[in-house]
Amino acid sequence: MSEPPGSDLNPAAAVSLRGISKFFDDVTAVDHVDLEIGDGEFFALLGPSGCGKTTTLRMIGGLEIPSEGSLRIFGDEVGPLPPNKRPVNTVFQNYALFPHMSVADNVAFGLRMRKVDRAETASRVAQAISLVRMAGMENRRPAQLSGGQQQRVALARALVNRPKVLLLDEPLAALDLKLRQEMQFELKQLQREVGITFVFVTHDQEEALALSDRIGVMNEGRLLQVGTPEEMYDAPVDRFVADFIGRSNFLAGTLEDVSTVCLANGTRIRVPAVDAEIAAPGSAIQVSLRPERVMIADESAAPEGAASLSGRVSAVTFLGNSIVYHVGLDWMTVEVETDHRPDLRRHAVGDDVVLWWRDDAIAVVRP
Amino acid sequence: MSAGRRGLGGGLLRFNGAVVLAFLYAPIILLVVFSFSASRLPGQWGGFTTEWYQTLFDDSRIQRTIWVSLRVALVSTVISTVLGTMSALALERFRFRGRRVFDALLYLPIIIPDVTMAVMMLMFFTQAFDLLEVVFGLGLSKGFATIIVSHVAFNIAFVSVVVRARVAGMDATLEQAAADLYASRWQTFRYVTLPLIAPGVLGGALLAITLSLDDVVVTQFVAGPGSTTLPVYVFSLIRKGVTPTINAVSVIMLVASLILVAGSVALQRASAARGRQRLQTTGGIQ
Amino acid sequence: MSDATLEQSRRALGEAERQRERSERRRGFILALPSFAYMVIFFAIPLVIVLVYSFATRTSTGSTALSDWNLDAYRKLGEPIVRNVVVRSVILALITTLVCLVVAYPFAWFCATRSALTRNLLLVAVMIPFWTNFLVRNYAWRILLSAGGPISSFTEAIGLGETNILFTKTAVVIGLVYAYLPFMILPLYASIDRLDRRLVEASSDLYASGPQTFRRVVLPLTMPGVIAGSILVFVPSMGAYVTPELLGGGKETLLGSYIVTQFLTARNWPVGASLSFVLMAVMLVSTIIYFRSGGKNL
Repeated sequence: MSEPPGSDLNPAAAVSLRGISKFFDDVTAVDHVDLEIGDGEFFALLGPSGCGKTTTLRMIGGLEIPSEGSLRIFGDEVGPLPPNKRPVNTVFQNYALFPHMSVADNVAFGLRMRKVDRAETASRVAQAISLVRMAGMENRRPAQLSGGQQQRVALARALVNRPKVLLLDEPLAALDLKLRQEMQFELKQLQREVGITFVFVTHDQEEALALSDRIGVMNEGRLLQVGTPEEMYDAPVDRFVADFIGRSNFLAGTLEDVSTVCLANGTRIRVPAVDAEIAAPGSAIQVSLRPERVMIADESAAPEGAASLSGRVSAVTFLGNSIVYHVGLDWMTVEVETDHRPDLRRHAVGDDVVLWWRDDAIAVVRP
Repeated sequence: MSAGRRGLGGGLLRFNGAVVLAFLYAPIILLVVFSFSASRLPGQWGGFTTEWYQTLFDDSRIQRTIWVSLRVALVSTVISTVLGTMSALALERFRFRGRRVFDALLYLPIIIPDVTMAVMMLMFFTQAFDLLEVVFGLGLSKGFATIIVSHVAFNIAFVSVVVRARVAGMDATLEQAAADLYASRWQTFRYVTLPLIAPGVLGGALLAITLSLDDVVVTQFVAGPGSTTLPVYVFSLIRKGVTPTINAVSVIMLVASLILVAGSVALQRASAARGRQRLQTTGGIQ
Repeated sequence: MSDATLEQSRRALGEAERQRERSERRRGFILALPSFAYMVIFFAIPLVIVLVYSFATRTSTGSTALSDWNLDAYRKLGEPIVRNVVVRSVILALITTLVCLVVAYPFAWFCATRSALTRNLLLVAVMIPFWTNFLVRNYAWRILLSAGGPISSFTEAIGLGETNILFTKTAVVIGLVYAYLPFMILPLYASIDRLDRRLVEASSDLYASGPQTFRRVVLPLTMPGVIAGSILVFVPSMGAYVTPELLGGGKETLLGSYIVTQFLTARNWPVGASLSFVLMAVMLVSTIIYFRSGGKNL
């Protein structure tokens, strides 16, 4: 985390941030971010609003200059360069299509500004428009297009310049739910076709999980964890990450040794070996327990050997395909989600139950 | 006001509406009618004639003042549109030293009474000319240039307000998008900003022409001999006594301002129609 | 990378950012500079000159001595002649405002309760006279009100006898109402249009009579429009010059005409300057009230 910028540089990285920070007056918008995004990767920056993800994207795009650190694109330092001097293009939130120009003129804009010759411009524009399946709509104005079509034009307008990295700022936020799901699929398809690096910013965890090869979760200016969607879900290292991606119960405790946690009520449980970077033995930690990974049974039915907690059902919520139980322990309430199947016993409010889980179903996270 | 639509209340509302409209239009319509009246008394009907328009076209004095008015309006509108647009962009898109002072300074001409403005300009030119004569020996006097300078001084503010509203309504990310697509500052302005604020600039220019052609008080204070504008000349004629010829001149001025109104209404309708068309087509696709 | 190079890169980035910001500020300043300079030279300086003159002395020859600074010109505002002008201006401007309010409120209500098409037509109909030449609008009333003119002939025809109101206060008020009525209608319309009609229904549901609903619900909620419209009518009425000259025949001197006289005929510049300042103070105070009351547009 605290390595000086520029060290152990991976020249193959499409985008590389080393110790990048951004201060606005007294506010730290981005706080010492280290990140490498590989060539051809579909990368998501995920976090709540105001977490610094958009500022990070704007720094990569050149709309903001970092306050410190090193920012490289394919090995070239670009930190202080203006947007028109770097091989990236941006798909803006709400697309920022020029309302007074036709679809074709919008797409051709970047090429015309760089004085690419007419014949080449025409052929590249036609190619980009057909790439996003907008052929036949060249003469429409942006206002005459649906939200999804506008987004495709915005993509074509950026891709026609053959950027090495495409930046997308909340690309699907302006669309309604159904269209968003369709466009997710299209966007992923498109990225495979053009094969360039996509970096996109979103506050929607489902979108990040569905689209990206890797996700970086940010909060309060800091990059908390980077990993594949599975890693982020299964092995969060930070309470915020576990909470932001999916739902989770958090059991407070102390790490006794690398694979033993003493919970707040004194119960000792075994955990997957904890990396020294997350917590050292003796420190306070939280155990993240996904609701659907907790097993629930009548008090008598607890399996031998597994760690278990007993409690009483305090609420039952029927969700169709699943049932959510709130189980009160004497020191906290745990949420448990089970499938709704005829062969599974259904518990009622007031039942005494026991909860248990597989050792590898839980993650120890920073509090 | 629950009886607002029906019954006595509704009837009264309608009656009041009709009276207000009659009050607003009757004077203008009657003025046009009387300008074709053969009677020597300007408020009485004496049969149809176009004689007064004929006198008007033969009157070289009136023609000269029309010419002065048009030149003043044109030159002051061009200058104030350029300056007003520049200041609107500066105030809406940039931070710079003195911005707040400039902003406040640009509001004053809008709220200041005509008479005060006129007094200011008169005193300023008197002082400035005295100073220039003492220091450089220049013998300047009030005339065409002082009228233009004064009209620009109040018109910059009006143009700036109209254009600013348009700039504020324009999405700033469009300019960022242009920068991202390799446009230089000038290209961004030329191809993105200017076309998008053009209706505002045109609206501001129409307002500036109207105000310039409307002004009596300020012009009267800063005009010199031989540089009288039409409104100032007509104003002095009316004070001497009304004549049928003034009726005809007034109708000419009326027509000129109606042409300008038609221009601005057409401008509004054009942008409104574009918005409507937009809605219809988008609705059609979805 | 060592700490030294780290520090160096931070400085370079900081410099790049400051440079970008500086060039933004410079661009803004250069863009504003021509009109800024223009407004300072041809507006701010003239304003200061007026202020300076208001403390100067008029010499016996009618010129102004720029020495011997004093408050004589302001003291003169207390003298009966000037005081009468100010009082008359305030009264006429108040009457004008009141007449506009009484006529415009129902009209604005009428507009706001029509269909979208009718409403737009009505608003355009209000705007058109407002855009037409100010002098012509005043002149039209001069013709209408003239002895033997259309209005007089009309009243005579219906047996009321000749009307002879040209060159009276009534004529001036008519002219001012005609000139500034749109200034009253538009803000009133805007605030009535914003008024949630369900509140009127809620009020009558809660047993309020029509007048009670108007007084306790509608009027308070449309007050911003009332205040904005009143200021927009009152301020220019106070400073009016053309209307009292043409329709008052110069007999009914108002503040605006009096100031002009001080400059063009009486040649008492200090008094003219101080009165201009009083006029501007009225306008500034009104503007502040306007913005305080939440008025932003128009």
